[in-house]
Amino acid sequence: MKKHILSVDDEQEIRELLQETLTMRGYRVSTAAEPIEARRIAKNDRPDLIILDFQIEESDGFVLIDEFRKLYPDIPLMLLTGAVFGKGAVREVIETKVNSYLDKTASLSQILDEIHRLIGDPEPGASANTAFRSLR
Amino acid sequence: MKENIEKRVVGLFFLMLAILTYVAWFAVDTIKKSRNKSDWVRHTYEVIGQAKEVSISLGAGDAEMRAYLLTGDARNQLGYRTKYAAMVNALDVGSRETQRDISERDQYQKFLTLTNLIGKHIAFTRSLVQARQQGGLDAARQLELANPEGESTAEINAVMNDLERRANDLLQQNDSEARTEAILTRQIVYSGVIANFVLLVFAAYLIKDDIKARRIAATALEEANAHLEAKVQERTAELVKSNQALKKENLERRWSYQALDHQFRYNQLIVNAVTEMVFVISKALNISRTNPSVTHLSQWEPQELISQSIERVLQLPSVGPTHPLLAALNEGRELQDQPGTMITKSGAKVSVRFNLVPLRDADKVVGGVVTVRIVPGTPAVNA
Repeated sequence: MKKHILSVDDEQEIRELLQETLTMRGYRVSTAAEPIEARRIAKNDRPDLIILDFQIEESDGFVLIDEFRKLYPDIPLMLLTGAVFGKGAVREVIETKVNSYLDKTASLSQILDEIHRLIGDPEPGASANTAFRSLR
Repeated sequence: MKENIEKRVVGLFFLMLAILTYVAWFAVDTIKKSRNKSDWVRHTYEVIGQAKEVSISLGAGDAEMRAYLLTGDARNQLGYRTKYAAMVNALDVGSRETQRDISERDQYQKFLTLTNLIGKHIAFTRSLVQARQQGGLDAARQLELANPEGESTAEINAVMNDLERRANDLLQQNDSEARTEAILTRQIVYSGVIANFVLLVFAAYLIKDDIKARRIAATALEEANAHLEAKVQERTAELVKSNQALKKENLERRWSYQALDHQFRYNQLIVNAVTEMVFVISKALNISRTNPSVTHLSQWEPQELISQSIERVLQLPSVGPTHPLLAALNEGRELQDQPGTMITKSGAKVSVRFNLVPLRDADKVVGGVVTVRIVPGTPAVNA
């Protein structure tokens, strides 16, 4: 069974790019632009990883992070945002709330590496592992 | 190569067919000749038989005739007449048998000679019988003594023997020829069979060689195909890898563009949200960017200020030989809460306070950001 990633971002282009990239790497990806949709997906199809933006319509990333933390304490959360945080404050504040924090200016390779670090291969097994590594 | 072998095999089969045809024709011809010779032999034996019949009938007829000369018995007379009739009949048959074929001309001549001699013999016998009937036994004896009969009989027997010997010679010669022909036929048949066997073996060898060559070619083709297949797979894998790399690169590029665009828009939002007037200036003090507050507070549209000197909208109280803003940028210094006068589009003058922060690219100052705020409670003074 492929690992399931939920991506929550208000920008369509970003959602599509992430979905295309992660699907190509072998993950199963769901996307949501709004918190309501994200909650529905997470409830119906438990994700292995949730990637969130800070700026979300009708809410913000921190609210969603708190919600998901309560609902699924064991699901890793990644904050992928273009909002500029003070570098020094990031580790102290944000990383206490999420498992990983990346600027959107990070390359896709860096994002993939981080995803792999958090949840491993798209599918358990040597072949998937090899396929993943060959694409990185 | 393949076509060449097929031509050779077909050629060999035609050659074998020709040899078989020749052998068959020769065998049939020999059989026909044998049948002819067999007919000839039977005919020759028939002729010899007729000649012997002539000889036997002559001897028996002569014996009956002498008995009749001695006894005058009518039965003896009937006997010699019957024998002579049989002899004449055999002589006729022999003559007819040898008359048809030109190769028997010699025998036919001998039969004619015999006919002539026997005719004379019968005529003499007839005169003896006549003498016996007219003058008795003595008259017959006198006639016989005067014409000795033994000479003609000996001559007839000599011709008969010659005829028989000649026929036997011919039979022997024929037998010899038949044996020679039989040997030749056997040799030809054996030669044909051996030649065909050799050709068949050669054709088999060619076919086997061809099959072997075809197998080698098939194996080589198979190997070439496998090699080609491997190459194609290798190339396909390379193309897939290359395609994936291109896709990855494309995705990275799109991601970078989106990230930068997002960052730019985000920064723009922040700058636009500032209520103070913001001017981005070059080191020549020309304006390259403003925020919406500039238009809101000074009525200058961005296009009216871009590339214009900041002095058009911001004037400093005392400008020495070097403009304070330029001096600060050259020295990389910030200016904080400095007094100045804003000139609005309508020409009104408003007291303001401004800050200058140099813009650095690495360690080099490339321009500066001037933020201007209106001093609260300051009325605009029209020029």
